[in-house]
Amino acid sequence: MTTSALASQDAIVLRNVVKSFRKSTIRREYTTIKSELIRLLRGKRDTDGKSMIEALRGVDLVVPRGKTVGIIGRNGSGKSTLLKLISGIYTPTTGTIDIHGRISALLDLGAGFHPDFSGRENILINGIILGMSRAEVKARMDEIITFSELGDFIDEPVRTYSSGMYMRLAFSVATHVDPDILIIDEILAVGDEHFGKKSLAKMTEFKRAGKTIVIVTHDLGTLERWCDLGAWIDAGRIREFGPPADVIRSYRRAVALAEERGMAMEAPALASDGGALPSLAAPQDAASPLTVDAVRLLHRDGVAVTWVDTEDGLELSVAYTAHAPAPELGLGLELSRADGVLVHTTDTFAEEVPFCAAAAGSGTVRFVVDRLGLTAGRYAFTVVVRDRAGQVREKREAACTFEVRSNVRDGGLTRPAHRWIVEGSAARVAPVRDVGS
Amino acid sequence: MLRNFRELYQYRGLLLSLTQRELKARYRNSVLGFFWTFLNPMLQMGVYSLLFTVYMRQKIPGYTFFVFIGLLPWIWFSTSLGGGASAISDRRDLLTKVRFPAQVLPATVVVTNLCNYVLSLPLMLGLGLLLGYVPTWHVVAFPVVLLTQLCMTVALVYIVSALNVTFRDLQQIIANLLTMWFFVTPVFYRVDSLPQAAQAPLVLLNPMAVMVTSYQAIFYEHQLPQPGPLLMWMGISAALLWVAAGIFERRREDFAEFI
Repeated sequence: MTTSALASQDAIVLRNVVKSFRKSTIRREYTTIKSELIRLLRGKRDTDGKSMIEALRGVDLVVPRGKTVGIIGRNGSGKSTLLKLISGIYTPTTGTIDIHGRISALLDLGAGFHPDFSGRENILINGIILGMSRAEVKARMDEIITFSELGDFIDEPVRTYSSGMYMRLAFSVATHVDPDILIIDEILAVGDEHFGKKSLAKMTEFKRAGKTIVIVTHDLGTLERWCDLGAWIDAGRIREFGPPADVIRSYRRAVALAEERGMAMEAPALASDGGALPSLAAPQDAASPLTVDAVRLLHRDGVAVTWVDTEDGLELSVAYTAHAPAPELGLGLELSRADGVLVHTTDTFAEEVPFCAAAAGSGTVRFVVDRLGLTAGRYAFTVVVRDRAGQVREKREAACTFEVRSNVRDGGLTRPAHRWIVEGSAARVAPVRDVGS
Repeated sequence: MLRNFRELYQYRGLLLSLTQRELKARYRNSVLGFFWTFLNPMLQMGVYSLLFTVYMRQKIPGYTFFVFIGLLPWIWFSTSLGGGASAISDRRDLLTKVRFPAQVLPATVVVTNLCNYVLSLPLMLGLGLLLGYVPTWHVVAFPVVLLTQLCMTVALVYIVSALNVTFRDLQQIIANLLTMWFFVTPVFYRVDSLPQAAQAPLVLLNPMAVMVTSYQAIFYEHQLPQPGPLLMWMGISAALLWVAAGIFERRREDFAEFI
């Protein structure tokens, strides 16, 4: 009694799910007479673990009823395999999957569409394939047609449709199946601006109706705006499961860390070391004797600001604490634009700044810029604690973000101090504009 | 096996719709449309009639009708088996994207061809009337033979379609095998024209020979089919269907991964 009541709280329960594929399946090597003969001659069968690869390496996931869960992860991390397992297309190699409720999977739009048939006829087949009964589809036919906005085209063969129309029709059928659990693989961006909004509204309606939704996406914005929970899957395991904002932050940091280390982004399932992104916990494990406490952006007059003008100067104030004498450590700064373009990087070693935490205690390092000279946009400072060899001990990613504004509509990354001089018979010989200096 | 057929029953709407679509799709955009269902076997029959009555002078009265009786169920059988081989392996779009019982796909192939067969029956009977063969009460045996053939065809198509997923040579083998199979099946000759000693084994070992001779007995010779071989193949078909459903079920989980 209690257990069943508890169980029904969760729509999807995965317990230690492992999914392995035979390598030959991945390489699309079908059994043929030739391969069968070779195998017979060699006298062995591929039953050992060597020829298997693991796409999922033990996934535990509990999706509560009525929640929207977004799954992120880099290519080949096992997202689609996970969805196919949940929707029952694959069966797990080991582990259990419990589904409570009617499930509908939108892994591909328009499964089973026949190009020679009209939209109306395809709605019928597609609806039945997706799990509705004939009567149900017929009852919802008009609703589906209205939603698709195909008008008279509904009685034309599907092969005459534009790809947008095709997707609209498929999406309309798929969302009119009335499931308790909806599994979606990255198809929210359907059709044009107008239809995109409409389908998003439909999804919101699903959410409000208390349906459980599991969605795979690469659009972190979708995840943050849309989902109640985020799951980050990496190398066949759930790396993090929780509030979307937290999961996204960890994911971004791990990807940035991997790029920094020049990690080869091969398929995790095939990688010898498991192929997981670098752990975020490791750098913090060896506690740095020197830590960054607060990073503040100040105007030249000492007032804290969130934006500066291109022609303005600024000051970055970094408060630090040395928990133990750490004369070998220094501070580094990275200034980058919001799109990731690195503007400037420097550290106390490179410029031979007499910074030396010879004794325990705290202090402040001020990085003063007389004229910023960056074009309008969003920028961020990253502060690192590192030693002379470049070993990073602590890193405060985007510790301070700010905006640069300017009245001048110029472009590019920086604006060097400059002036214009126009010469010629018609012009006055005078600086038309004098900037900086 | 029971699960297999229970699911098939649950998804009968899908089976029905897919069959309907196959029937409609086959001749869509062709000028003669559905008429090809009749035209194809008639043309084939015309060739055999010409060959055996004019050139080779086979002495069988009402030869055209005789060939037609055997040819129609043979077409049902051979197109089902030939098309059924790739029923699973060709539907990657469906099986890897949607969850639904895979056995619907091979079943659709068999049922679609069965529909074509049944729809051609009036034509066959009409031809019989024209040549003076009026159906007698012996047609009561017809549903029994039909059901036996259905069982056997479904069983074979299940096995073939499931194996073809991992062993793609099978569909080529089947295509060639069917050509040979046709000639050892007494469609355009009578069994008693075979050497006496060869008759019994050739007929008993070949289920389609039993089916075809049974249809011929009912419509052409106006007598009940020989009960012995028919009963034997009824039993074998039922057993085969049981085994086939088992094989299909065991392999089913792998379909989405292999195709």
